Amino acid sequence: MKNILYIALAVLTITGVTSCSNDDDAAPMNETVDFSGTFVQEDQMGRAGINTVLSGSASIKNDFNTTIPSEMTETFQPLFLDQAVALHAAFGAEYETNILGLDATTLTTILATDVLQVAPDAPTTYFDGTNILTGRNLTDDVIDVSLILLFGGQNGDRFNGQDTNGDGEPDLPVLVTDGVSNAGETPMAIFPYLEVPHN
Amino acid sequence: MKSIKKSKLFIAAGLLSVGITLVAADHLDAPAVAGTTADITDFYAFEGANVDNTVFVANVQSSLAPAGDAATFDENVLIEVNIDNDGDLVEDLVIQAIPRNGKMYFFGPFAPSMTGLNSSINTEATYTGNVDISMGANAMTATEGGISYFAGLREDPFFFDFTQYNAVIGGMAPNGFNVPGNDDFDGTNVLSIVIEVPNSLLGGTFAHPAGTGTQVFNTWVEAKRKQ
Repeated sequence: MKNILYIALAVLTITGVTSCSNDDDAAPMNETVDFSGTFVQEDQMGRAGINTVLSGSASIKNDFNTTIPSEMTETFQPLFLDQAVALHAAFGAEYETNILGLDATTLTTILATDVLQVAPDAPTTYFDGTNILTGRNLTDDVIDVSLILLFGGQNGDRFNGQDTNGDGEPDLPVLVTDGVSNAGETPMAIFPYLEVPHN
Repeated sequence: MKSIKKSKLFIAAGLLSVGITLVAADHLDAPAVAGTTADITDFYAFEGANVDNTVFVANVQSSLAPAGDAATFDENVLIEVNIDNDGDLVEDLVIQAIPRNGKMYFFGPFAPSMTGLNSSINTEATYTGNVDISMGANAMTATEGGISYFAGLREDPFFFDFTQYNAVIGGMAPNGFNVPGNDDFDGTNVLSIVIEVPNSLLGGTFAHPAGTGTQVFNTWVEAKRKQ
């Protein structure tokens, strides 16, 4: 009995196991859990959609994921700026300084460093019209925020399907919303917050 | 700015060639990692139900990927939440998560001995815990040292009309998005890791780089494969 206890203690010490889920089915204590080795980065993410939208090629996307944040802006800001210009050019337009007063260079400089700012002592929002980037809630519409910052111009609604010649038909494309809201998402108010999986 | 003078058609064609493989938010974001067990799909960080805590959610392997709902966490892939407390974009603290035999093991937050692209797991970390991986509706959770843990299959909280996005970016949608659009992630699942940590364990803050005056830390998530 003492030996078993000793082994259990040794395993606890080696693995750092201190608990204990609420469905503890007595994991085998007779094997040492191996956490050795070197782990090398394959993917990285701070904010939603940055690599997807602003990296203009497969090789840029791959390189972005294996670049540390402190080196991202130097390498990727010029490429992201090219992509922002190209995305506008495809609609015959040029970037307009956005709702936050950011020109294309400043916006892509900020976005090229793919980290998420979190305010531990303030309410969380990705962007609520007043507060900007204090984290990301499960229900924050990060796509619309990103589209507004990229395509929305100084008023945030620059490309929103406007009828510019009064013929009752939209003359400008819809680029400031994907038309999908968070209405279908109902996360729980308590840990672990995410909804149960679909069958 | 090189491409600004090139024709609209040329740019549209160029976008088209890469556009059809695009998925978001970070789902399948790059060819080298798309559809693999190291594919991060989303990252969230928000105030907990207890406002003195911060919740980190790292999602991997969308059920839209080839493995579908049969996807499992990979024992060779370390998920690492990074925290930068002084704004220099170098991690000061990390929280590590890696599965072993049906459980997800957690280490940290702790100050890593090395930063950057390579990591080793710190089994000597002050804060450690583990939780059984939940593959059904019942969420098995654990709490240790004030930190709560979850790992398992959950509904993908991301919402986005990515089909129309691909058409827009591919030059095939001159009118842009549809209103209303279609949520392509409706009815899909994802593998989630959820960690709720007392703010007192998350280190210092600095003034928001956007100049708002709010005190923040930087955070990001990485997927790292054992060599």
